[in-house]
Amino acid sequence: MINKLRGVPAYLFLGIWTLFSLFPLYFMAVSATNTSQDVLASRLLPGGELFANIAKLLDAQNVGAAMTSSFLIAAGTTVLALIICSIAGYGFEVYHSKGKDVLMGVLLLAMMIPFAATMIPLFQVFAKLGLVNSLFAVIVPAISTPLLILLFRQSSRAFPTEILEAARVDGLSEFSIYARIYVPTMRATFAAAGVITFMTAWNNYLWPRVILIKNEVQTMPMLIVNLSAGYVTDYGVLMLAVLLASLPTVVVFLLLQRQFAEGITGAIK
Amino acid sequence: MKRTTKIATVVAMTLPVALILSGCSGGDGGSGGGSGDDNTLTVWAWDPNFNIYAMQEAEKIYQQDHPDFTLDIVETPWDDLQTKLTTLAQSQEYGELPDIFLVQNNAFQKNVINYPDLFSEATDAADFSQFPQAVTDYSTVDAVNYGVPFDSGTAIGAYRTDVLAEAGYTVDDFTDITWSDFQTKAEDVLAKTGKPLLSGQAGSSDTIMMMLQSAGASLFDADGNPTISDNPALEKSIETYIDLVKSGVFTEVNSWDEYIGTFVNGAVAGTINGVWISGSLQTATDQSGEWAVTNLPKLDGVSGATNYSANGGSSWAISSNANVDLASDFLKSTFAGSTALYDTILPKAGAVANWIPAGDSDVYAQPVDFFGGQPIYADVVTFGASVPSNNTGVYYYEARDAVSAAITKIMGGADMASALDEAQSTVEFAMG
Repeated sequence: MINKLRGVPAYLFLGIWTLFSLFPLYFMAVSATNTSQDVLASRLLPGGELFANIAKLLDAQNVGAAMTSSFLIAAGTTVLALIICSIAGYGFEVYHSKGKDVLMGVLLLAMMIPFAATMIPLFQVFAKLGLVNSLFAVIVPAISTPLLILLFRQSSRAFPTEILEAARVDGLSEFSIYARIYVPTMRATFAAAGVITFMTAWNNYLWPRVILIKNEVQTMPMLIVNLSAGYVTDYGVLMLAVLLASLPTVVVFLLLQRQFAEGITGAIK
Repeated sequence: MKRTTKIATVVAMTLPVALILSGCSGGDGGSGGGSGDDNTLTVWAWDPNFNIYAMQEAEKIYQQDHPDFTLDIVETPWDDLQTKLTTLAQSQEYGELPDIFLVQNNAFQKNVINYPDLFSEATDAADFSQFPQAVTDYSTVDAVNYGVPFDSGTAIGAYRTDVLAEAGYTVDDFTDITWSDFQTKAEDVLAKTGKPLLSGQAGSSDTIMMMLQSAGASLFDADGNPTISDNPALEKSIETYIDLVKSGVFTEVNSWDEYIGTFVNGAVAGTINGVWISGSLQTATDQSGEWAVTNLPKLDGVSGATNYSANGGSSWAISSNANVDLASDFLKSTFAGSTALYDTILPKAGAVANWIPAGDSDVYAQPVDFFGGQPIYADVVTFGASVPSNNTGVYYYEARDAVSAAITKIMGGADMASALDEAQSTVEFAMG
């Protein structure tokens, strides 16, 4: 009984904290069903304007095209980034080479270069390759990140070398060891890395805005900014677009929630 | 086996490094892939209900005489348009530029002076004597016109007539007045109705910039040197603003959205801003008929003070990658030559013309129900002709930011002269 009571303040604290965290999400969802004027008046109850807002949003912006572009970019980036960074992280940890720590240092230094500094040369490269307006130009610069390589390298420390030796003795090729033994055991890390990459790619704004010029290839974050760039903003429609744009990342996170937590704690361990 | 391992190691380690560092490689300029046929113009602009709508209507008008003509309009918010211009200029990929792009008036000179290769001269795109001088000045560099003025940033004072009536005033009591008159009357309105007359974003210098321009003053002299220190008009503007805030007749809020909310929700009974704010005012449908528009109060004791000013506004630029003849002819036949265009876009979008001949049209004299039947657009065109020029230059935004920071300090109790001296040296430092 005393033990149970002891938990009360903690639950109370966490409960209040949860309310604080959930409130913006609640307000976003409710606002999508209200008029602009109601949103500005901070109306907290659901209204009857959802369908009107949907109609206005579809009329003003090409939501289907933006969702498709965003999804192709996020999915493409995630798949390629997981393959490349996991191989790199695995390689950094499992193989031994004199220069690898220096190379890792270079990688980590690269994390410190702000994107704005590399954007203009990057644009020149893609413009010369004729890839302006191509989704490929958004995906390629994002498929290798020091953070993911570091995450995979750290997680690979827990990968038992005995298995590696045994597999080699059994005659498994190096790539098969990676593909058939490493990948399945590192599922949690893949999930964590997948969630991080998908969210980053989905929310990426500056680079897509610069390299994707045509309306047909704009992404969801670009669409949301379009909605609030005019003299008169319809806040109900804006909130609806924000809600739509957050759904895919919410779904991806919920699907991989458990593995995500394991992957992150595993990486720290 | 061993060799495969080594190769795999090398590939696995160097590939990601190469990819990450790929952005660091350099290269010199060259032409990109932007193209269009002889009858198509590409346009970058923002706001589908305003600028883009106006462009679409202009396309229809031009198509009457040129049936094969089409526009390809790309929706690009201003901040992103600026990022794109900077990226294209610095990477020298001018081939990706559209034919026509919209530029904020305050940023026009900065872009022409910093990146002259982005622009073509717009000399043949309008008869510039048919625009107010203050408006063409924004896009004129070394006596050459680079832009066709479109969106009028003419400032208005808009007030709730019902609230004024409750305190015993009409909108006429707020017409052709000085800021000290305004202060007295607004305090009275606040005392009697509990409603402030103005609101704005804390840390924003919009209101002060409008006050400054209304006296024909600016943050730079004719040679482009900053004049933030020892600028009597600026000091008077800041003093006036601080008095408004301290007496409670000007409510400061934290964000643009909150600012819009203050009058849409009826918490504040007026606003002073560019005429484009009328679009946001009219979203408060329950307040229809209870608003009226007049000119601004003028600064007390400042030479050259007027009741007219501007905030924002934008002009069409022709890029260096454009089909210049077609783009010039298109702009000259529409935004600088078609009353029909302005007659169409005015009632639907509230897009007030800078092009003086458009103001004579009957459409401008139509009463607007939201403003109690007042023909506000005809009034705004009249105001527009009296707005003093604003000297923007290359470092306008840096100077504005420095002044905003100074205002925050002065509001916090710092000495005005030393805060403005500091702002002056910040801008001088930025100018190098």
